[in-house]
Amino acid sequence: MNWNAGLPLLIVATSLFSGLMIFFLSEKHVVARTTLNLGGAMLKLVLVGVMVWGVFHGHHYEARLPLLPGLDLVLRADAESMLFVVLSSGLWLLTTNYAIGYLEGSPHRSRFFGFFSLCVMATVGVALAGNLITFVFFYELLTLTTYPLIVHRETEVARRAGRTYLIYTITGGALLLVGTVWLYSMTGTLDFSHRGFVTELLDTHRTSLIVVFVLLIAGLGVKAALVPLHGWLPQAMVAPAPVSALLHAVAVVKAGAFGIVRVVDDVYGVEATTKLGVSAPLAALAAVSIIYGSLRALFQDDLKRRLAFSTVSQVSYIVLGIAIIGPIATTGGLVHLVHQGVMKITLFFCAGNLAETLGIHKVSEMNGVGRRMPWTMAAFTIGALGMIGVPPLAGFISKWYLGVGALDAGQEWVIYILAGSSLLNAGYFLPILYAAWFKPAPDSWPDERSFGRLETSWALLAPPVVTAVLTLAVGLLASAPFSPLRWARFITALEYIP
Amino acid sequence: MNELLSAILLLSTPLLPIVLAFPPLRSHLFRPCHIALFPAIILLAVPSVVSIELPWLLFGSGFDIDGVSRWLLAMSVVIWAAAATLLPSTGNQAADNRLTIFFLLTMAGNLGVILAADVVGFFTFSALTGYGFYGLLVAGGGETARRAGRIYLGFMIVADLLLFEALLIAASSTTDMRFEAVRLAVTGSPSSSLYVSLVLAGFALKAGIWPFHSWLPLAFRSTPPAVALLVSGVPLAMGLLGMVRWLPLGDIALPGIGLIIQFVGVAGILYAIAAGVKRTQLQLLPAYGAMIATGFFVVALGTWLADPVAWNQYGKSSYFFIVSLGFGIVVVVAAIAWLQASHHAPAAHEKQEDDSGLWIERRAGAVVRWGKRVGCDTLPGLRATWRAMADPLLQIHAWQKALDVTEYSLQRWMLAISLFLLLAVTVVFLAG
Repeated sequence: MNWNAGLPLLIVATSLFSGLMIFFLSEKHVVARTTLNLGGAMLKLVLVGVMVWGVFHGHHYEARLPLLPGLDLVLRADAESMLFVVLSSGLWLLTTNYAIGYLEGSPHRSRFFGFFSLCVMATVGVALAGNLITFVFFYELLTLTTYPLIVHRETEVARRAGRTYLIYTITGGALLLVGTVWLYSMTGTLDFSHRGFVTELLDTHRTSLIVVFVLLIAGLGVKAALVPLHGWLPQAMVAPAPVSALLHAVAVVKAGAFGIVRVVDDVYGVEATTKLGVSAPLAALAAVSIIYGSLRALFQDDLKRRLAFSTVSQVSYIVLGIAIIGPIATTGGLVHLVHQGVMKITLFFCAGNLAETLGIHKVSEMNGVGRRMPWTMAAFTIGALGMIGVPPLAGFISKWYLGVGALDAGQEWVIYILAGSSLLNAGYFLPILYAAWFKPAPDSWPDERSFGRLETSWALLAPPVVTAVLTLAVGLLASAPFSPLRWARFITALEYIP
Repeated sequence: MNELLSAILLLSTPLLPIVLAFPPLRSHLFRPCHIALFPAIILLAVPSVVSIELPWLLFGSGFDIDGVSRWLLAMSVVIWAAAATLLPSTGNQAADNRLTIFFLLTMAGNLGVILAADVVGFFTFSALTGYGFYGLLVAGGGETARRAGRIYLGFMIVADLLLFEALLIAASSTTDMRFEAVRLAVTGSPSSSLYVSLVLAGFALKAGIWPFHSWLPLAFRSTPPAVALLVSGVPLAMGLLGMVRWLPLGDIALPGIGLIIQFVGVAGILYAIAAGVKRTQLQLLPAYGAMIATGFFVVALGTWLADPVAWNQYGKSSYFFIVSLGFGIVVVVAAIAWLQASHHAPAAHEKQEDDSGLWIERRAGAVVRWGKRVGCDTLPGLRATWRAMADPLLQIHAWQKALDVTEYSLQRWMLAISLFLLLAVTVVFLAG
């Protein structure tokens, strides 16, 4: 096996090995566990960096492992997969660092970090999947590895949330599998291709292709939290904050959204998607999710629940961008895959800091918290303003491309959705900022812990500050080389330019 | 070398205030708010036209300064220096710190707006100015200040949305976002009227032009002189400047929109005169003075929109009008502050004032209330019926509960629905 075939396997294996080894460590082996955690995360990031450099210079990385006669498990590096791999491995390092500080002293850490690593292994597998069956394999693995993280606290509420998550995701997985098998029976291949691989069947299998498209989108829509398949997400917020960050920004909802990108771009292709007439309903579904999620977020007092409904809304921007069918809107959708991740992880880190340091779980408890935790709330402010789409933050770049793309594709109605959503975003984020910065603080906090001169521990404070800076940087330096926007434009060029 | 120095000056003019907004970076500096103005002051001394292009910034952005923007920068430097000198100290370190942060962020936004060479840069800095200025307004903490802040923030959010839509229209016509290129592109665009309307409404909201002025008197009344100075120099001047830079004045004739704008300008002047005469409070003088002045500007703007030749002849004067307005209000606010200080007048903020509005506003309010009463009471029991129907619809919690129950039910039926769907699909598959 040469280097070009070995590198994708190595990237997946780093978190697999670190995860498996962590399971065998007892609770008291803190140093060994931390070394494995951070070492695995950093090694993965280095390997991903090498791969990005290689892909940019025209190297072809592909590993094939036989699965069934005529079907291989394929791990392949292409421009699209690199976007997701860089996001997940970069944010994983930060989330691991955060989780180490967050779970300090709590029980079952080896179990937690073991599954945590396996979860990221599955996510990277989803990102590097070179065909639909590999995608489904890692997608299901992701379900199984995230369940123990959701129920980690072992409370009744957590178990209930876990059950709901399993019902939703296993059902979604089943739909996805049926769609995949059906598609294979029609096409005889499942390999992703820049123009899709169903175009030749448009005349002969039109109805079947539409049904398969619905099955695939329904299966993926569960994890992407498209309305009405989103019910598991607000419940899963009972999980510890690092898991919420993983669910909302790094792994699960992103895997669903990325899957929809793959189906539209690399399974059906934009031409077949347009000719089948399935792009408009998908765009409408995304629009409904955007508005519904924002409306629900508006009235949630529980901070993490508010953020969860915000995810329902924000992740649908990715789907909307893809479903508009046009190079500029697709760029907007793809770049939001990264931008939403960076912004949302900032917000969840901050929510975790508030809970761990002051015992704050509700928006109504946040009065004056900006003065007690200025760095955390500064990071939260940047994340929230980014979500609203305030320039020059990440969300502004996404909304710009979605808006211009919609006008370019002649779909002006999208502008009203963007405007309405921005207003609603302002409606549910600005009152939090006002309360935190301008309202007087209470005499005491619900459950305050002291960290000396620091507002909270370094392990908890550094990750949100870093991601807040990233939120600013990816927006401000949007046109710089290797920025997410430049990379998204590169991918779109492959899809649309003949 | 000179070019490099000039570029550094251009960049550091908005950047230094942002850097100094971080408390640890200014804690050992004497008068950091004044120091933040140094690059701008030096830039004023550079005699030539200076520009810098930054292709990696946003969608490709840049800064420049020419003869006109040098005057605007000079006005801003004077206003900010005066405001920094008057910046009050409450004795509460945390409160002072907060005020200084917002002061410096607003300064950065304001200076950036003047130097921005393209619409995206202008929009970005205007957003920074807006949010920073909101912080300045409410940092005082009084109820009137908070009310002014709430109204201003609401207007600003809507304004940003409208301007964003205008930007999208422009971006769908051209990828070059420099002012001239955008003006040229929208002139030939079928959406030019919509673009112009969005820009006018957006900047009118930002500048507090009648009928979006309600926060302006509140801001003048409730804030200390340092912030009152900035009301004229920051949102007002920024809004007017935005209109002049974004609109395709001189390139396009829109007589219909021009006429409406002229009417708005005249109405604003008349309103400000009537309201100003009624008010007795000294601090409100600059508010209504500014409204009258902006009213004249709006009338001129309407004329320029209706007749491009008029812009080509007199357009340059618009920049000097903005500069004069800024300087004028600085003088008036400073004079009022001096008068109050020398005559030991009561504190400016939070003084009671008759808020009942003009006679015509009170009459209009009474008519609306009467209409509601009569409309609802025409038939016996109609109001009760309306209330019975409307009340449940207006109870947000009931809606929330209903949605929660729906989602929970869906979750319970998810498995059953999916199995049924799978069965249906299998049947279709086998039948096919």
